[in-house]
Amino acid sequence: MFKYNKLWVYLFILPTLLVFLTFYLVPIITVFTTGFTEWNGFNAPKFTGFDNYKMIFTDDNSLTVSLINLFKWSMIATFIHVPFGALVAFIIYRRPFGWRFVRGVFMIPNVIAVSAWAIIYRFIFNDQMGLLNNFIRKLGFTNFHTNWFFDMKYAFSAISLTWVFYAVIVTLLVLSDLMAIPKELHEAAKIDGATEGQIHWRINLPLIRGSLGTSVILSIIARITMFEAIFLTTKGGPGNSTYNISVMLYDGIVNYQFGYANAVATIMIILGIGVLAITTKVFRMNKSVYN
Amino acid sequence: MKAKADFLKRGIIGLFSYLVLLFTVCISIVPLLWIVISSFKSNKAILNKPFALPTGIDFHAYYSVFKMNNFLSNTVNSVVISVSSTLVALLFYALAAYSFAKFDFKGKHILFVLFSVTLLIPGHATAQPIFSLINETGLYDTRLALIVVYISAGLAVSLFILRATFLSIPRELDEAAYMESANFWQVFFYINLPLAKAGLSTAGILMFLGNWNEFFYGFMLTSSAQNRTLPVALQFFTEQFSYNYTQLFAALTLVTLPSIILYMVAQEQVQQSVVSGGVKG
Repeated sequence: MFKYNKLWVYLFILPTLLVFLTFYLVPIITVFTTGFTEWNGFNAPKFTGFDNYKMIFTDDNSLTVSLINLFKWSMIATFIHVPFGALVAFIIYRRPFGWRFVRGVFMIPNVIAVSAWAIIYRFIFNDQMGLLNNFIRKLGFTNFHTNWFFDMKYAFSAISLTWVFYAVIVTLLVLSDLMAIPKELHEAAKIDGATEGQIHWRINLPLIRGSLGTSVILSIIARITMFEAIFLTTKGGPGNSTYNISVMLYDGIVNYQFGYANAVATIMIILGIGVLAITTKVFRMNKSVYN
Repeated sequence: MKAKADFLKRGIIGLFSYLVLLFTVCISIVPLLWIVISSFKSNKAILNKPFALPTGIDFHAYYSVFKMNNFLSNTVNSVVISVSSTLVALLFYALAAYSFAKFDFKGKHILFVLFSVTLLIPGHATAQPIFSLINETGLYDTRLALIVVYISAGLAVSLFILRATFLSIPRELDEAAYMESANFWQVFFYINLPLAKAGLSTAGILMFLGNWNEFFYGFMLTSSAQNRTLPVALQFFTEQFSYNYTQLFAALTLVTLPSIILYMVAQEQVQQSVVSGGVKG
C-alpha cells in the first residue's frame, strides 16, 4: 500500500459534507423541531407542543383531503401506472419490430420539465382548442363540452391523466430485471411443458418483484411530492378536490406559517419512509431473488 | 384444430401488443408535435382547426417571444444556472465518491449512510429552512441562490453513480502513479478522473436535466422577471398571455426542446441513469 496524507481524504469529503450539513441535516432538524412551534420567520419560534398537528388534523380539513387524495392517487399508481409500465416492458422484452423506437420515445415526456408538461396538458384539456375535447367531438359526440381542470367531477381524473400512463421508469426498471433472467430457466420450463402464460406468471413475475416494488415506491413518493402538475393546473381546486400535501406545504411557506409548514413537512417525511418500509415488506424486496 | 386456435391466439396477442405500443407512442409524442405544429399557426387557426397543419413555416412567434418579456435573459439564466451548478456538483461529488471508493478513513461508514439517507427525504420537505436560509444570506432573487440549491439536489444519486465508477478503476493504476511520485491530487485528477468519464457524464446529464427542468425552487426563490429561469418564466407567460396561443406554443417549444435534444444525443446514458439511480419521476 502506498503512502498518502490522510488529510487529503478529509479534504475531498469536505465540500460534500458542507452541502450535506447546510442543505440536509440542519434543515431536517429545523423541520422536525419547529413543527412544534408557532413561527412566522420574523420573531423567535414559540413552542406550542402539538398545536400545529392538532390544527392540521382537526381544525381545517386540508390534511384529511390531502391524505385521501394521496391514497386514491397511490392506488392509481399501484394498480394502473405500475402494471401499465410493466405491460409495456413485457411487450418490449420480446423485441417486436420497432421496440427500440418505442422505448426511446416513451422516455421523452420524462425528460422535459414537469411544469411545461402541466401547461401542455392545460391546453390539451382546454374545451375550445384542446386536443382531447376536439377529438371526442370528432368521434361523433358533437355536443361534448367539459372544462376538465375546472369541473368538480373531472379535475381529479384530469390531474391523474397527466401522469398515469407515463410509466417509462417502471418499464425500464422491469425490463432490466427481465433481461437478467437466465434463458435456461425459460427453456427448462418449456421442456417441462409450461405454456407462455405460465412462464410469465410463475417464473417472470416473481423474479421481477424487486423492480415492481421499487416502481411502487418511486411512483407513490412521486405522488407525495407532486407539485407542478397541480399548482400549474387546478391549484388544488375546484374546492379542494385536487389538493395535496405538497401544495399544502407551499401554501404554509408563502403565508409565513413556518411552524405549520414544517409540521406538514414532517408528515411528508414520515409518509415517505412509511411507504418505503411497507412496500419493501409486501414485495419481499430484502429477500434475494435467486436462491 | 389446436394449431389453428394457437395461431389465432398468437394473432390476438400480437395485435394487442402493437395497440399498446401504438398508444404509448401516441401519448408520448402527439402532445409535443401538436405544440410544435401549433407554434407555426395563427391564433385563429389554433382555435378553430386544432388538427390542421400550418399553412407555412413562419418563425415570427419565436422572434417575438425572444423580443419580449425578458425571455432572452430567462434563457441565459437557465443556461448559466444549470451548467454551473452541474459542474460544481460534479466536482464536489466526484471528490467525495473517490474517497469513499478508494480509501478507508474514520467515520467512512456513518458518513456514507448519512449521505445515502438524503435520498429518502421527499423533494420539498426541507423547503422552509432553505427558503429562510436564502433570505437571510441575502441571496434571494439571485442566480447564486438557485445554483447553490441545485448543487445540493443531486447529492445521493451522483455519489452512488460516481462511487461505482471509481470502484471499477483498478488500484494498480493508482499504485503505479504513486511509484512515479505523483501526489494524491495528481492521482485523482490525471489518472482517475479521465477514466471516470462514463460515470461523470451519466451523473452530469441527470443533474443537468433536473436543474434545467426545476420549477419549485426557481419559483419560490426569485421575484423579478429578469431573474427567472425558463420553466418559471413560462408559468408567468401563460398567466399573462393566455390569449396569444401561437407565442405560448413557441415558448413551450423553446423550453422543452433543449431537454429533448440532450436526451436524443445521450439516450443510453439517460436510460442507464434512470435504472441505476431509479429516481426521477
